[in-house]
Amino acid sequence: MTTLSRRRFLKTSAQASGGLIVAIHLPGCAFGGALPIDVADDGFVPNAFLQITQHNEIIFYCPSDEMGQGIRTGLATVIGEELDVHPASMTVVSAGSHEDYNNPEYAMQLTGGSNAVRAFYLPLRQIGADTRALILQAAAQDLGIPTSQLTTRNATVIAGDRHYPYGDFLVTASSLPLPENTTLKNSRDFQFIGQEITRVDAREKATGEAIFGIDIDVPDQVAAVVVRPPVAGATVTSFDPTAALASSGVLQVVEISSGIAVVADSYWQASRAAKRLQVTWNNPALSTVSSDSMRADLTAALYDGDDAVTDDTGDIDSALTSGAPPPQVIMHSAEYFAPLLAHAPMEPVNATLRLRNGEADLWTGVQAIGAAQGLIERITGYPRENIRVHNQYLGGGFGRRASLAHIIEVTEIALAVNKPVQLVWSREDDIRHGLYRPASLMQLSAAVDDTGRISGWRAKRAGGNLTPDYMRNSLPALMPNLPEFVLDGLTAATDYWLSRWSIDGSSVEGLHETYDLPTRQISHVTVDHGLPLTFWRSVGHSYTGFAVESMMDELAEAADIDPVVFRLKQLESKPRMYEVVAKAGELLTAMSVPEGHFLGFAAHSSFATDVAQIAEVSVTDNLIKVHRVTCVVNCGTAVNPDIIRAQLEGSVMFALTATLHGKIDLAEGAIVQSNFHDYPILRMDEAPDVDVFIMPSDEKPTGIGEPGVPPLAPAVANAVYRACGQRLRELPLRLA
Amino acid sequence: MIAFTLNGQQVEFAGDPETPLLWVVRDTFKLKGSKFGCGAGLCGACTMHLNGKAIKTCVLPVTVAAGKTVTTIEGLAGDHGLHPLQTAWITHNVPQCGYCQSGQIMAAAALLEETPTPSSVDIDRALSGNICRCGCYPRIKAAVLAASNSEAGAGDDEPALFYDATGQGGQA
Ligand code: FES
Ligand code: FES
Repeated sequence: MTTLSRRRFLKTSAQASGGLIVAIHLPGCAFGGALPIDVADDGFVPNAFLQITQHNEIIFYCPSDEMGQGIRTGLATVIGEELDVHPASMTVVSAGSHEDYNNPEYAMQLTGGSNAVRAFYLPLRQIGADTRALILQAAAQDLGIPTSQLTTRNATVIAGDRHYPYGDFLVTASSLPLPENTTLKNSRDFQFIGQEITRVDAREKATGEAIFGIDIDVPDQVAAVVVRPPVAGATVTSFDPTAALASSGVLQVVEISSGIAVVADSYWQASRAAKRLQVTWNNPALSTVSSDSMRADLTAALYDGDDAVTDDTGDIDSALTSGAPPPQVIMHSAEYFAPLLAHAPMEPVNATLRLRNGEADLWTGVQAIGAAQGLIERITGYPRENIRVHNQYLGGGFGRRASLAHIIEVTEIALAVNKPVQLVWSREDDIRHGLYRPASLMQLSAAVDDTGRISGWRAKRAGGNLTPDYMRNSLPALMPNLPEFVLDGLTAATDYWLSRWSIDGSSVEGLHETYDLPTRQISHVTVDHGLPLTFWRSVGHSYTGFAVESMMDELAEAADIDPVVFRLKQLESKPRMYEVVAKAGELLTAMSVPEGHFLGFAAHSSFATDVAQIAEVSVTDNLIKVHRVTCVVNCGTAVNPDIIRAQLEGSVMFALTATLHGKIDLAEGAIVQSNFHDYPILRMDEAPDVDVFIMPSDEKPTGIGEPGVPPLAPAVANAVYRACGQRLRELPLRLA
Repeated sequence: MIAFTLNGQQVEFAGDPETPLLWVVRDTFKLKGSKFGCGAGLCGACTMHLNGKAIKTCVLPVTVAAGKTVTTIEGLAGDHGLHPLQTAWITHNVPQCGYCQSGQIMAAAALLEETPTPSSVDIDRALSGNICRCGCYPRIKAAVLAASNSEAGAGDDEPALFYDATGQGGQA
């Protein structure tokens, strides 16, 4: 459901303390009367995108969560473009939880899926343009000059040689009807969109002043650490709090639904005491699973399981029958594996909750603040309007912060403790008790005809589905009043449905969409071990991209065609990706690499964005070193080219960690890894140089936070093959 | 009672002497710029200067700081403005999520004190203890190189607001 694109009313109001507020209100929306904003109180959450104060401060309430992707800068640029206010001169703050801020594509407040710029691009420009038109009308009335003789520039109205701050016209502006559907700028008149404007958060992140959830320090706050079961899903059978309670600074030991919480004066005291806690747990089904048995289960499922078909186009059986008559010339089949992964955002998840007089204030950094509010509503029974979520900067998201187990925990603890509580997960908690990128085993089979086109393509994936976990996690939050048993029933039904008749889109996404594959079959076998799973930067594409793009090189070699040319043959009806691959091919041809370095190529479309990458790799003494990665991207209009480059650089590093190091193992159901010594993250001495070429485009912007991830692993694997002849079909890449 | 100098101020800590310096600075002295990333000396998010040397403070008992000088990100800028590294961080748009950046900058500042014009390998060596999950490494390196080449000291001008379309940078 898209709400913002519908006809809307803009409601305005001038307030002595806060100036003009402009909000989107939808017909039929519950909102009415006074604006739900107390602008004098920084702690309160407004229902508005823009606020213009009498002192001409322009405040933008950013509806998407800043986790490093640059969204505050991007959306400030978009709204500022039409409002004629430079993003750097705006105050950009995180919007609170309110349906007016729902992501137009999701109908909820969720930051993820690389869609924020895409989804808000036109709605926010419209709000900026309508607001500017309103200010102009008010100025015309106040100054007695027709609007045709007025212009605007950086938050001022210009009449001849006189400049008036927007803030001068608030009283009149608030009495006028708000213009609607004001004509938007032509892209050739853009002053901020397309410029490399410095990030609005760069300065505070260089001075240490940026506030993350973990930095919140409210009066009387106590610290909590939770001891959770080693095997996900286990519950407490008994515990002895004596030693923990005797530890200095400890105030309370509380059993909660996920484990045992130790509450102390400070985090360090709580974490020290938590190590002294004696807990025994029961053994859920997962406790019989190890990495090896999981892999064996995936293999059995892939080859013997009943697969559900998601896409069946053309006659795949005859296309893949060996001995089929020419023009089919090549047949090839291969299996690819990608392991479980953790997100390991740099800031461990945390939340600070104050419950007081039937009101709740939550300070945290999450990708789903509406759901956080819903969870608190569900657990405390407080009315939603008494629950405020103050979202801070997120110290990395990557999908991890769309899950809210820590919000449930902090709420249960706060109810027991009667003081503001700050819950912090340790790094060990983060690696061992999180939610994981599902392990995936994929088999691809293809035939190539004598023109070099793929005449048959079968892709099959075995692994876990994300939706049941997502339902389990988000339904209680989104429907706080739905009884538990109904939720359980819905989740079980989803599980059943997805394992038999339907397919979780994210499980198979990316298995064919990049290319023309006129005869194809895509199918899936669900294998669920009960380990919590979730979105991980680029989601299904993070493993399907590896399989498909490794396969493309294998097929090109078998057909004796240059890998770039081979891909172009499969892109004749995909002009945008065709151009991206062609451009990357051009760059590749022009590259000269030092002796011992080899180039690998890959391309993948995801989140409506097309990316090709060239990895320059050397292999010495069984060590894979990636020296340089060249990216070509088409993501539509480049709102801020420098942030696009930064996202591709970051995606390359994130994906290279997974390519060279990333692996979560299970032993008797428990996660083996625990911190950065055994779950290593790429470091500076391993970081390649990254070059980015952005294809010029006037189209609507598309995603950029994730699409740089999928092509990297296959580009490296394809280069490794050229370097040493080993075709590595398993992540992380390990030379024999 | 443990006394030390924190960003130029004499301070005293009366709590548990085993408390790591990171938590003393964050919880007792309420300076939140230094971050907790791993608690095991593995990521560098908690990097401060102890007598001018970069050190990971999440595993460093506060007693080690007794009588010494501790500088955190909050104390890095001089009276005249940002440290050249901070300026370079802004003009290069280095931070993404920003969580690791205090530690990165503190590690880089200690490097520049010892090696004012570091090579790329020097930077790798000095900063490989600092993880950036967002992968800002190329920009971190570029910013350190830019700051080390800048002749201006702590009184450096405020950074440019704009980059022009060629990425060359320029004053608004
Ligand atoms: S928090 Fe100190 S090294 Fe990671
Ligand atoms: S900027 Fe996010 S971890 Fe470095």
